[in-house]
Order: sequence, then structure tokens, then C-alpha cells
Amino acid sequence: MRDHDRKLYLASLTDKLVKGQIGRRDFLRTAAKLGLGAGALGMGVQRAPFNFVSSARAQEALQPSPETLKWVADVSKPFAGTTLKLATESTPPSNALNSQLKKYFEEASGIKVEIEVLPLEQVLQKLTLDVASSLGTYDLYYIDQSWAASFNQDVFDPREQLQNAALAMPNYNIDDFLPALVDGIAMYDGRMVGVPYDIPIFIMIYRKDIYDELGLKAPTTMAELASNSKAIMEAKGPAMAGIAGQMKSGHYSLECEWTSMLWGHGGSIFNPDKKFVGNDEQGLEAMAYWTELKKSMPAGVDGWTWDGQGQAVAQGVAASMLSWGEFFPYFDDPTQTKISGLCEVAVPPAATSLRTKDQTAFGETPGVGHQGGSTLAVSKYSKSPDAAWIFMQWATSADTQALITALGGGTGPTRTSVYDDPRVKANARVGAGTTRHLPIVRETIANHMGSEPDLPEWAQLSSDTIPVALGKYFSGGYASAKEAMDDIATQVDDVLKG
Amino acid sequence: MHQSTFARTMRTIAGWLVVGLFFFPIYFWTSVAFRDAKDIFNWPPILFDFKPTVRNFEQVFGISLGFGRPEAVTPGGGNFYMAPRLLDSIIVAAFSTMLAIVVATLAAYALSRMNFRGRHQFVNWVLSTRMMPPVAVAIPMFFIFKQFNLLDTYTGVIIVHGIMNLPLAVLLLKSFFDDIPAEIDESALLDGASRWTIFRRIVLPMARGGIAATAVLCFIFSWTEFLFVLTLTQTSLKTVPVVSSTFVTSIGTAWGNMAALGAAAIVPAFIVILLVQRHLVRGLTMGSLKQ
Repeated sequence: MRDHDRKLYLASLTDKLVKGQIGRRDFLRTAAKLGLGAGALGMGVQRAPFNFVSSARAQEALQPSPETLKWVADVSKPFAGTTLKLATESTPPSNALNSQLKKYFEEASGIKVEIEVLPLEQVLQKLTLDVASSLGTYDLYYIDQSWAASFNQDVFDPREQLQNAALAMPNYNIDDFLPALVDGIAMYDGRMVGVPYDIPIFIMIYRKDIYDELGLKAPTTMAELASNSKAIMEAKGPAMAGIAGQMKSGHYSLECEWTSMLWGHGGSIFNPDKKFVGNDEQGLEAMAYWTELKKSMPAGVDGWTWDGQGQAVAQGVAASMLSWGEFFPYFDDPTQTKISGLCEVAVPPAATSLRTKDQTAFGETPGVGHQGGSTLAVSKYSKSPDAAWIFMQWATSADTQALITALGGGTGPTRTSVYDDPRVKANARVGAGTTRHLPIVRETIANHMGSEPDLPEWAQLSSDTIPVALGKYFSGGYASAKEAMDDIATQVDDVLKG
Repeated sequence: MHQSTFARTMRTIAGWLVVGLFFFPIYFWTSVAFRDAKDIFNWPPILFDFKPTVRNFEQVFGISLGFGRPEAVTPGGGNFYMAPRLLDSIIVAAFSTMLAIVVATLAAYALSRMNFRGRHQFVNWVLSTRMMPPVAVAIPMFFIFKQFNLLDTYTGVIIVHGIMNLPLAVLLLKSFFDDIPAEIDESALLDGASRWTIFRRIVLPMARGGIAATAVLCFIFSWTEFLFVLTLTQTSLKTVPVVSSTFVTSIGTAWGNMAALGAAAIVPAFIVILLVQRHLVRGLTMGSLKQ
């Protein structure tokens, strides 16, 4: 068929779909015969909010590789009938696994997988209870990077598990995980606390149309970030603010934003003597900068976590954010936001100066691109560790990760090879579940990533001590930033002394 | 008493304002359930001018309602598929209420009618168990339930909710039984009726209003309870308050879906109240007049 005829036929087909004369399934099937995938059509398949995925697409276009499933079927025979349990945060990878992909594993293996989806703090509660009781109510642990130190003795090191050749997935290739992520998310005290499972990371997301209108360019320095934000606030405010923040008092999100500011001004949380130094000269510079930047944020930002921050950009209340790249596919979804196609991404602005890892403690790695993320690990208390290990390998294999990225709404992969996977690249267009931001995510992981320190007390410090005091500062509870940071230093010292 | 037209009008307006004040949050929450995400957060807020959609309900209940463009609905799958969870809530609330009411009516009747040593102290002790913060017993409960294989089971949650509601039910029912003259029991005893017959044939029917009021309270407490269900369940069952947090994802909250589940969850509780409404009013006013 000539190209011209093919386009005409496609146009007619699309018209029928829009008018409801044919179903989506028929449309995709016919389009595929024309040699056009949904990604190539630039339409994507309409998705429900927050990466709820289309079953039609999963069934027709994206399925696990038969080779992988054959390995699953072969190796799982002794474990058929086993039930595995995992408690996880509601993240794009977990959602894609739970709603679309685990059925393939279950069919091939005969192993039932029950995934309990909870908010992050409830996952921590469940894990803590499971570990404290050693009851093994969960077989797999979803471990946020800030808990790695706390749970490092309660899970198997995947490198040791891989030594069991009988259960090792061929071509699992643990070296394929991005080295910076392995170091930043999974490693603690020489142990690998599971494998990197997801990677939300701070990138610069900005409204290209607003930036163009005001003659601005994506900020490359912290100073430019402030001046751009101020310029937008002056031109468009108060209807549209320059930048959105995640500054809810007492919430972990506030601590995340603080670290980005701190590291971006040459500061660090700890010095090599393991003393809190957020109150040194660079730390106070960061606070002064942040306090000034807040003037370019929407009113009410003190009450927002990343949820409110994302909504502010999605609804056109703010023109930019230095925040989690996971949000970007949501912004591109025309059914969910009013700004589809209007946002662009850039690497985080360069720090004024940057401390090295040697100038900090507890593995803290300064970088403006604050790294979140989690690992997936097999519990030492599991009654079925081998079956859990099989599932874990399958869930974190390159093939499954590519499917998760394509089906899970453009979430950032943790494996190098997945960034180059054709199925992932095919989604690099404007629309729901886009992956067009992933090159920037990849570059940020490689060159701009900042990792929080790893210590058992970090969960308490990062989710309570520091954000409570920062919230008190922004609500006027301290006379100065110096007083606030000195108070944090005292509290951190007390916590570390136990 | 004569009232001016102005006063009557003002009173009507004030009445409607109060009704509006209570009704508005329910309207707004329900309207969120019928909106696309892009129509939920707006400034100034949109109250009526939005294009309604049933997609949130379709996702939450895994059914296609057939409006608008055909959507891929994933019955039985998807993180936001909550129909079974609504059923879990109904089962837990209904059976735990039954458990609490059956045990509480017997206990309350005994406390109301029978004299035994330490009766008043016993009532105080029942009341004191209600003062204990649930969080103090949630963790020990977890270990006990694990030991008895009650973790993540209907039986376990029903027992916990039943026990949780028992003190309140006993105290309320005792006060209702106290309002029924003891002379009626004594007359029946003289006529040869047993205690059980008096309880079942005479006192229980007379306390029907009070039992209905207590049952409604027990049902609502169970319907909205969060901590025990969160701690004692995993994947087999969950009630609406706990699964509502599933809509809080790492990349934001699915407010439309949450509102759809919330709006749907009002219905069963509303039906229960409607069914017992006649008794409820009578129960709540029992004992308000001294004879």
C-alpha cells in the first residue's frame, strides 16, 4: 500500500474510532496491520489517572517474553501452590505489576502473588511489625532508600542469592542496574539491601510556553532558578507562581526539598566527624536562598507535599518545579491535566559548589538531583524465600522493567538496558505514559544525583526531626534560620546519641 | 403564637442555610467523584460547570456503565478496583454489630435487673475499657491473632470490632433497660415467667428502639474504624477507610477515585440508618421524660 493511501486509510480508521463505530481493539489490530504501533501513532492508549493501565494494550502489544516465562515455569515447579506476599507503596512499578503483569508470572509459575498497596508510612509500619515479630507475614520487602540501614540485616543480599545457580535467572545481569543507584539506594555497610526497584529523582520540570513567552531559558544554575521564578511571579503572579514547592511542615517531602537546596549551595547534612553541619555557612546560605525562593511560590505551599506541588503545576498554578521526574508523564496526560505537551524537562541547576562524598559521612552524596527510590528484597523471615527470589528476579529483570516502564506510565527504570529498550523509546512522545523525559532522568542519575545518608536513625531524622523543625522555621517559630538549624543540630545530636 | 411574615421568612432562610451548610460538603465530595482530574483542582473552584464522567466509578467498581467513549475497564484487576472491599466493609460492620448487640443485650439486662456483688464496679470497669487507646492494644492483638490464625480473616476483624463496640453497647443498652419499669418484670415473675422468657418476650420488644439506636452506633463505628483493620489485615480483606489510602500514590492522590468510593460507601450506612430510623428516633428519646 502506498504511503498516501495508508495515511488516508488510517485517517478514516481513526475517524471511526472517535465516532465509536469501531472498538479500540479493532482499531489497534488494523493499525498494527498497517505497520503502526500505538506509540508511533502518537496517540497512546488513553489511560486512567496515575498510570492505571489499559488491559487492551497490555494484552495486544506488551507481554513478557516467552523465554523469561519459560524459565519461570521451569524453575517454579517445586513451588507451585505457594502464596507470596508483598507490601508496597503505590508506585508506578508496583501498580503495573499488580494490575497488569503479575498474572503472567502466576500463570507460568503456579505461585500466587498478593500485593498489598499502601501509603509509604503504612508500608513502614507493616515492615517494622513483621521484622519485630520475625513472623514472616511478608515474603518480599519494599524498602525505601531511607530505611535501608534499618532493615539491612533482615533481608537476603541478592548477590549471595545469585550464587544458587539452580534458581538464578539466565541473563539476570545484576551489573545492568545503574551503578549510581546501587550505591545510592541499595548498599549499606557492604551489604546489598535488595536490588533497585524504582527511582524517583529530582529533575527540573518547567512550562516551556511560559518560559518562551518571557524569553527565559531552562535554569542552569541555582541563581537562574531563582531569577526565572521571580520573573514569572512578577509577570504572571499571583495567578501563576514561578515555582512550586513541597513544603508541608513535618513531612518527609520538606526534608527532600531542603537537601536539594542544601547540597545546591555547597552544604551537607553531616561532616566526616558525623556531626550535623546544616547550620554552617553553606547551610545558612541555602536557607536564605530557599526563604527567598519561597516568595515565588504559590500561597499555601507550606501545606503541600509532592502531591500538592504536582497538582499546582498540573493545574497551571505554578510554572515550574524542581521535583520528582515521576510526575512528568502525568503532566503530559491530556485527560488529567490542562498542560499536556506544554512542559519540558532539564537536568537540575548546577550547584554553586558541591561537597564530595569524602567531606560528608554515612555515605551521603551531595547533588541537586535528590534521589528517592526503593529496593525490592526477600525477607529473611519468609517461609518461602526461594519462591520469593524467583518472583523478585522476574519482577526486576530487564524484560519486566521495560514492560513496567511502558505500562506503568513512564516511570524511571533502574537498569541501563531498559533506557535503550525499543518498547520504552516508542513511548517518547507527548501523551499519557510518556517516556520522553527519561534521557534527562538518566543523565541526572549519572551526573547530578544526591543521596541521603544511610544510618539506622535516618528514618526518624528525615521524616520527623528535620521536617518538623523546618516547618516551625517557615511558620515563624524561630527568630532566624541560624536558630532553626542550630536547634536541628542539637536534636540530631541527641538522636544519634540515643 | 403569632409570627410576622418577616420572622417566618428569616427562619426559613436560616433553616435552609443550616441545611446547605451540612449538605454542601456531601455535594462537593460527590461531585468530585463525577469529575475528571483536571476539573477537580481549580481556582476559583468549579461547583457546577464541569463535564460529568462516570469513569471514576467504572474504575472503582470494575464495570462499564456505557457512557461516553468505551474505556478499557479491568474487572478484577487494577489497584483502584474496590468493589470487593465495599463488600468486606458491609460483612464486617454487619456481623460485628450483630455480635456486639447479642452479647451486649444479655449483659446489659443482667446489669440492669440483677443484684450481685460489685455490680456498680463492674459497670465502671466496662466503661474504663472504652477509655483505653486502641493503638495500645493493636500491636499485642497482632501477635495474638497471628498465634490463633485470625490474622487477615473476617472472623478476626469481626471479633475485634465486636469487642471494641461492646462497652458502649452495654452501657447504652443498660440505660435503655433501666428506663423500662422493673415492676413489669416482677409482675411477669409472679405470673410464673422465667427470666429468659421475660427478657425475650417482654423486655426485648420494649427496648427495640434502644437496640436500634445502639446497633446504628456500633455499625457506624465499625464502618469507620481504621487502626485495627490496618494492623490485622493484609490482602484477604480490607474495609473502606483503609483502602481509601490506596488512592494516595507516590505521584499524587487519585481524588476522583477516592471520592467515588467515598460516595458509594455512604449508601450502605445510609440504608441501615433508613431501615432503623423509626426505632432510632424512639430509642434516642427513650427516658427523656420522667414519670
